[in-house]
Amino acid sequence: MPDNWGYVFSAYGLAAVVLLAYWRRLAGRAKSLAGRGGRQGP
Amino acid sequence: MAARALGWLAVLALIAGLGAAFGWAPREAAQGNVQRIMYLHVPSVLTAYLAFLLVFVGSVGYLLTRRPGWDRLALSAAEPGVLFTGITIASGSIWGKPTWGTWWTWDARLTSTAVLFLVYVGYLLLRGMVDEPDRRARAAAVVGILGAANIPIVHFSVTWWRALHQPAAILGPGSAPMPLWMKVVLALNWLAFTLLFAYFLTRRIEIARIEESHAG
Repeated sequence: MPDNWGYVFSAYGLAAVVLLAYWRRLAGRAKSLAGRGGRQGP
Repeated sequence: MAARALGWLAVLALIAGLGAAFGWAPREAAQGNVQRIMYLHVPSVLTAYLAFLLVFVGSVGYLLTRRPGWDRLALSAAEPGVLFTGITIASGSIWGKPTWGTWWTWDARLTSTAVLFLVYVGYLLLRGMVDEPDRRARAAAVVGILGAANIPIVHFSVTWWRALHQPAAILGPGSAPMPLWMKVVLALNWLAFTLLFAYFLTRRIEIARIEESHAG
């Protein structure tokens, strides 16, 4: 059976994009909340 | 600080898992290198099971105690759970095309996994639709508990019904029909995904806690 590397790299690439996007979303949310908390201070 | 250390540990484990999946694991005799998708596909679904199990625990905990910490746990596990289920479906579909000749078929395993995905997408949508915190947490907890009933259905679907999908590679009846090295690489990737999930969970719980303190 042919190796079908294109399918392998597509699967891993897609997973990497999704996981990185979620990591960035969490990091962005945490940063914006930290900024909001800072502005609420004295 | 602990979350950051967990994050780095997850990154190191993912790099090791990736290296092992592509460099160490042997080429599968029948499928060729496309079988290496297994080291992504199986850990993804096992991590999703763990996530939805925590949604169940958090949901039961909230209904019994009404403490917001349980609801935070359920919410924070549900998001990455949906993510890992999505990766499972996508990687399975990509793996299915060269091996089965189709991207999708209404096989028991695939259908039940799609239902699992939709139930928890619904769980997250429901949370966005209710404003009052206690009502939101109660409604979500009911879905979180009922949704967990689908986890054994997904896992044992290949045993209970005639399916195109191969039998469970891990956590199934009997030992997995694969060489020891493949099992080791699979376990390493499972560990890496679990660490990544633990990192996401820790960060998400912290964000939910801060959001609640700002709202209150």
